[in-house]
Amino acid sequence: MSHATDESTQIQDPDQPTDSDQVREIGHDEFDPVGALALIGLYFLILVFLWFFMYFVEFLGNDPTVVSGIVSVVTGGVGLA
Amino acid sequence: MNIHAYEKLWLVAAMLLIVGFIATITYGSVALGITMVGDQQDTVEPTELADDDRFDDPRVEQVGENEYEAYVVAQTFSFQPNPIEVPEDSDVTFYVTSRDVIHSFSLVGTNVNTMVIPGEVAEMTVEFDDPAEYGVVCNEYCGPGHHDMEGEVHVVSEDEFDLTELEADGPDEVETGDEISVDVTTENRQLEAIETTITLEIGDETLTEDVTIEGGETLETTFTVDSATLGEGDHDWTVTVDDHTDSGTVTVADDLEDDGGDDDE
Amino acid sequence: MSNAYIDQFPAEAKVIRAAFYSSFFALALGGVFGIIQTLHRTGYYRFIDSADYYTVLTAHGVFLVISFTIFFLVGIFTWAITTSLDRGVEDLRFTWGWYGLMAVGITLTGVAILAGFTDATDISASVLFTFYAPLQAHPLFYLGLVLFVVGTWFAGVDWFRSWWAWKAENPDERIPLPAFMVLTTMLMWYIATLGVAAAILLFLLPWSLGLIESVNPLLTRTLFWFFGHPVVYFWLMPAYMMWYVLLPKISGGKLFSDPLARVVFVLFLILSVPTGIHHQYLDPGIAEGFKFIAMTNTMFLLLPSLLTAFTVVASMEHGARQRGGEGYLGWLKALPWRDPVFAGMALAGLMFAAAGFSGMINAGMNINYLVHNTFWVVGHFHLTVGTAVALTFMAVTYWFLPQVTGKQLWSRSVALGQVVLWFVGMTFMSNAMHRGGLLGIPRRTAEPQYDGFEFEAAVGSVAELDAQIALGGVLLTLSLVLFFANVVGTALNGRSDDLPDNSYAGTLSGPEDAPQILDNLKLWTAIAVVLVIFAYTFPLLSIIDRGGLFGPELVELPLSTLDLESISALALAVEQSTIATLETTADTATAVIAGVIP
Ligand code: HEM
Ligand SMILES: [Cu+2]
Ligand SMILES: [Cu+2]
Repeated sequence: MSHATDESTQIQDPDQPTDSDQVREIGHDEFDPVGALALIGLYFLILVFLWFFMYFVEFLGNDPTVVSGIVSVVTGGVGLA
Repeated sequence: MNIHAYEKLWLVAAMLLIVGFIATITYGSVALGITMVGDQQDTVEPTELADDDRFDDPRVEQVGENEYEAYVVAQTFSFQPNPIEVPEDSDVTFYVTSRDVIHSFSLVGTNVNTMVIPGEVAEMTVEFDDPAEYGVVCNEYCGPGHHDMEGEVHVVSEDEFDLTELEADGPDEVETGDEISVDVTTENRQLEAIETTITLEIGDETLTEDVTIEGGETLETTFTVDSATLGEGDHDWTVTVDDHTDSGTVTVADDLEDDGGDDDE
Repeated sequence: MSNAYIDQFPAEAKVIRAAFYSSFFALALGGVFGIIQTLHRTGYYRFIDSADYYTVLTAHGVFLVISFTIFFLVGIFTWAITTSLDRGVEDLRFTWGWYGLMAVGITLTGVAILAGFTDATDISASVLFTFYAPLQAHPLFYLGLVLFVVGTWFAGVDWFRSWWAWKAENPDERIPLPAFMVLTTMLMWYIATLGVAAAILLFLLPWSLGLIESVNPLLTRTLFWFFGHPVVYFWLMPAYMMWYVLLPKISGGKLFSDPLARVVFVLFLILSVPTGIHHQYLDPGIAEGFKFIAMTNTMFLLLPSLLTAFTVVASMEHGARQRGGEGYLGWLKALPWRDPVFAGMALAGLMFAAAGFSGMINAGMNINYLVHNTFWVVGHFHLTVGTAVALTFMAVTYWFLPQVTGKQLWSRSVALGQVVLWFVGMTFMSNAMHRGGLLGIPRRTAEPQYDGFEFEAAVGSVAELDAQIALGGVLLTLSLVLFFANVVGTALNGRSDDLPDNSYAGTLSGPEDAPQILDNLKLWTAIAVVLVIFAYTFPLLSIIDRGGLFGPELVELPLSTLDLESISALALAVEQSTIATLETTADTATAVIAGVIP
């Protein structure tokens, strides 16, 4: 029986193929997730780039676009962006 | 609560991202004037569009120098009017509603796209610059023939564009020797006056009349032809104004059995 | 003697098996319809009438996003509650009761849809999974959905009962994380389903029965999306749960942060519902201001997903480093890529990162003019529910099946091939769908080839996109075949004594680091309700004010062209006997499903 307490759920099962490969124990304080930070930073850059690309190239480049009747005179250049 | 420094960093970055997204959209709305389809228009009765001033006759109307309004009805599985013709360099406001189920009205390859919901009227103002032809699709499933539902918007050059409506009416039969008169009604629905020529072709005869029609005016003309010159038999006739035509056929006979007068229709 | 789930909770394991098998049955049906659609749309192989395409599409949508996903998640939620609270369900008959209700409900709905293929009855429900009025389905369709949803409500009650009983015995303990996730998800679900329940019970069902003349199409549509957006979180949150409680363990590490996981689920509870209007950015009759509010809420709803991305990746990294991984990115190599459970979940997560991007675009109010109802959207949700959720569910099946059947997985290498194939197939299919959408190719269309115009591609061509979509569809179908081979192969295996223990991931930063207030479910529910009231009261009032509660007179579809005087008696007789048959079929089906399980 597994128990709800924290300790028991941490018991690693020897039959799990993944566990047999464990070579060291890293505790909370020694663990520094630089890899996660690197990946997420990369993701952030991709998101920013793609957002601008989609908005300003794909979307605004796909004119005509629905504009309000009044402002329309001023924004003749919407599609040029 | 114990949050790792990297996580805090990411939290800040994520918030920046979110605020940046909202800012971009706001910029589009405020600075570029991109407007969402909204609730500006009153509701309509989908089953009574025939009695509705705006939608009884789906059409394009001119409302200002370069401003037009297009009243469009979507129904299973077509759009009216089709094609929709508007001039280059114009601001066109589309008013779209549905006679039956939910459809969409979407100009392919553009950002003109709206749902069309029965009872509601979608309003979209669009600027068209150069002449072009756009396909229109219905991108909301509306029944078994949904994939056949298509239309077109033609943006045509200034010269080609008009809002002229032509209707011609002539007798079905006349007795040889009587006159054939064809009544022509020409309506100029544009705001400016047009100068044009109305032409009637019947048999080998061609009659023309140069006219000027003021904006919003309707002109009535009548062409008369002596049936004797045409001779006995069926004669097709065509009335032409610019690229609009209307036609009919008249039978010229020696003696008509019942002389019930000019039976028009 | 092993200590697998089936050894701990044999009776519950049987319910979970039943839920899983029902889910897989729906997946198989949905997959068949999926490939038919793909080949039809792209023009590669058309053997059905284009008018029937929409019956196929309705079946694909409903079977996959209602039955496949929800049956699976009630299975894993039952696992999560019993395992983490370490107690069996309070009353097994009740548990079988809700399962039975769901099974009967979806059978009725399914039969109503599939009857659309034959002319033998006038039953049909080709209204797609969104069933927008005035499209009208046979009453059985709506009735079945109601029973199904009520079944899920009782399932929630079951899990709450377990928790209340557990709390009485453990008054001072934190709610274990898996149970916490189940409870918050269900609270979100109760709020969300109010919308669809109102749409069906107050309007669509009475209307389809002829009790009321007409409905307000914008109102029922808005109520649908009140439910329709949060339902995507009902699919996603179980997948997230797997990423939080199973993936770290499979990676060889621990969950990076229990407190943040709780924060994430709380955010989902309070933000999932007041966003549904983002599906209606292009609807006339809703003011731009309401759309803007919905967008703001939606954008903030990105937060829990973005936080999840970090926590999950960090947990995987912890596993990789414990397995000897080094460097900024070198640790990725140390992950157990040959384990199908890991590989499937990791690839699903990777695709979800891409889906996150297209989702951000979908959320951007005015950019919706570009993508709304185009094939882009289909590309997007095949990455979310079709991969992030579906592939995660398939991957964890390879862990759960031995647990609930007590049998060894038939083949780990086939399983690995399966998850990789899904990833590759989906890459082709969804990428091309996204690109097609940007050209204006519409979704939900049997023949997106028109007489008057063509779609113009700046890069590549429509033919090339069609080829990629068809190729992707074929690979996905193959992947499904491998999946079912494994499920059946495993079911045919004998009992094994050598199974991994039933357990889930430990944590690096545990619940003791999480403020107590996070476990105050009443508070979060109250906040969620208040936000919903804020977001929806005015739009709903305005819609009712404009169009009326029961809307204008409508032309409903299917149009009834039958001469009712002469055939009504006949129709009634046919209908009654069909309903009777359906009911027996449903009962038999339930019995069969239950019987399949040893
Ligand atoms: C063999 C795998 C699959 C294939 C080949 C496939 C193919 C397709 C295609 C081509 C469409 C678009 C139809 C159209 O808009 O005209 C579609 C729609 C859809 N698919 Fe899939 N799909 C697959 C798996 C899935 C999975 C696993 C899910 C969810 C769990 C899913 C959920 C949906 C939904 C919700 C729709 C939209 C239905 C609608 O618009 O009403 N699909 N699928
Ligand atoms: Cu349609
Ligand atoms: Cu949504």
